[in-house]
Amino acid sequence: MTIKKSEPSVKVLIVDDDNDVLNLLENWLTTEKFDVKRALSGLEALNLVGIYKPDLVVTDLYMEGMDGMALLTELHNDDPLLPVIMLSGQAQIPDAIKAMHLGTSAFLTKPINQNEFLETVKRVTPSLINKSILGECTKNIIYKSKEMSDIIEMASLVADNDVSVFISGATGTGKEVIAKAIHEASSRRNHRFIAVNCGAIPEQLLESELFGHEKGAFTGANVKHEGLFQAANGGTILLDEIGDMPLALQVKLLRVLQDFEVRPVGSTKTYPIDVRLISATHKNLEEAVEKREFREDLYYRLKVVPLEIPNLAKRTDDIPPLTEHFLANYAKNNKQDYKKFSPDAMKYLVSMPWPGNVRQLMNVIDLCATLSKNKTIPLSLVRKAVHDDPIHIQTLKESKQAFERGYLLSVLRITHGHVANAAKIAGRNRTEFYKLLNQYNIEPASFRDKKHTEKEVN
Amino acid sequence: MSDEKIIIQVDPDLEELIPGFLENRNADIAKLRSFLDDKDFINIQSIGHSTKGVGGGYGFDLMSELGAEIESAAKESDADKIRETINQLDDYLRRIEIEYA
Repeated sequence: MTIKKSEPSVKVLIVDDDNDVLNLLENWLTTEKFDVKRALSGLEALNLVGIYKPDLVVTDLYMEGMDGMALLTELHNDDPLLPVIMLSGQAQIPDAIKAMHLGTSAFLTKPINQNEFLETVKRVTPSLINKSILGECTKNIIYKSKEMSDIIEMASLVADNDVSVFISGATGTGKEVIAKAIHEASSRRNHRFIAVNCGAIPEQLLESELFGHEKGAFTGANVKHEGLFQAANGGTILLDEIGDMPLALQVKLLRVLQDFEVRPVGSTKTYPIDVRLISATHKNLEEAVEKREFREDLYYRLKVVPLEIPNLAKRTDDIPPLTEHFLANYAKNNKQDYKKFSPDAMKYLVSMPWPGNVRQLMNVIDLCATLSKNKTIPLSLVRKAVHDDPIHIQTLKESKQAFERGYLLSVLRITHGHVANAAKIAGRNRTEFYKLLNQYNIEPASFRDKKHTEKEVN
Repeated sequence: MSDEKIIIQVDPDLEELIPGFLENRNADIAKLRSFLDDKDFINIQSIGHSTKGVGGGYGFDLMSELGAEIESAAKESDADKIRETINQLDDYLRRIEIEYA
């Protein structure tokens, strides 16, 4: 999935009885893309707060009528966590101490220095920093809907906390994109982001993939293998399709989350890990818990912060910008002129149910762009493309092939490209195994040099 | 008093705000003189306080210093000091030339 929007602005209410101060602060803040409302008195500010719902209030201390301290008290009666920056022309320590006791986030003395002011604004509202980082990381994320805006907002709030995030949503809604954006917006962004599809790897291999194994741990395990949890140390691991994880492994995962250490298969030693876990699934895990297919304790451990990505049909505002984005990508990748949809074709696209979500939309747009001989894609062609690609569900053959390919990649990764060992694990002879590798155009040598890769495990 | 220009470098982002800001400061001078005639030290202190708070932010550091002096002199009810500082502020406002850089 791809999302983009002019990032939701952080809202700052500035309060001062001097218009020149308000002008100055407004100028500084809007230059930095903050959304600003101004109030000339404490009372005006209080009236505005309920309507404007600011993320931050900056107020002068000395004002006619209600002063900054009284305003702060009133504001915190309603929302004790609302950050407030107090400005004062007097560098009086008792005022500063009182303001801090009352819950002021920062106390600045006038004349105000632009850099100091903006740094303070960013510092006292951690979500502001996350939002700007997230905005940077989500350059390729296209969205316009309120629904996605809320998801991004929540993602930005949790990005820099190590809480477990649980992303749910149907296939094709972009769960991994959001997980990656959270990683990129967190302080772990300079370490690895590793995505593992738990549903695509057989149970025994999954354990070895996640936690590693010792030499001789099982047939074909001729070398020690470092698991993905260790490879992701310092970074983030996404366990996609967590609902498909076998029960036996769920217990082991729970232990990892409790103890922050992993024990590779066949090892008596444990290794400490520092990994942020994000999990995702298209399944209804509550039902799985009820059916005892998923451990309840693990479920609650994972679902500290739930993010539910709505289906594309529930956020139709995203369809036009996504469509434009995919058309532009198509034109760029194929070195062709930019095509566009006729107005009735676009209306049709917006009205479709899109059971395959953003992925399906992308497929249909690619198909339309390929088939259209004109610069304007007509409704008739869109109808045909949607009909030809109703959901883009894989055929059984495609699905089997995808699984087989993923399986081969996994065993080669575990055996570090040792074909004989990989063949043993797979229960095939070497000749048959080589045939399979040729069939999927997999080069075992590419697994030998690198100790581990951080590419997605499919 | 000298006629030599005082060059002040101001952030170009503030260009639109500067004329209004300076107009308000000139209006302050008139108010200060009037309050001084009335020996209204409370209002003088208030204007000095505001001038101190806002000048430096726009890039006029000396304005903030003079504002602080006016505020302080008003607390002491020192009319001579206030008059002298108002004149300095007036002179400063007349001589400044803005460079947006």
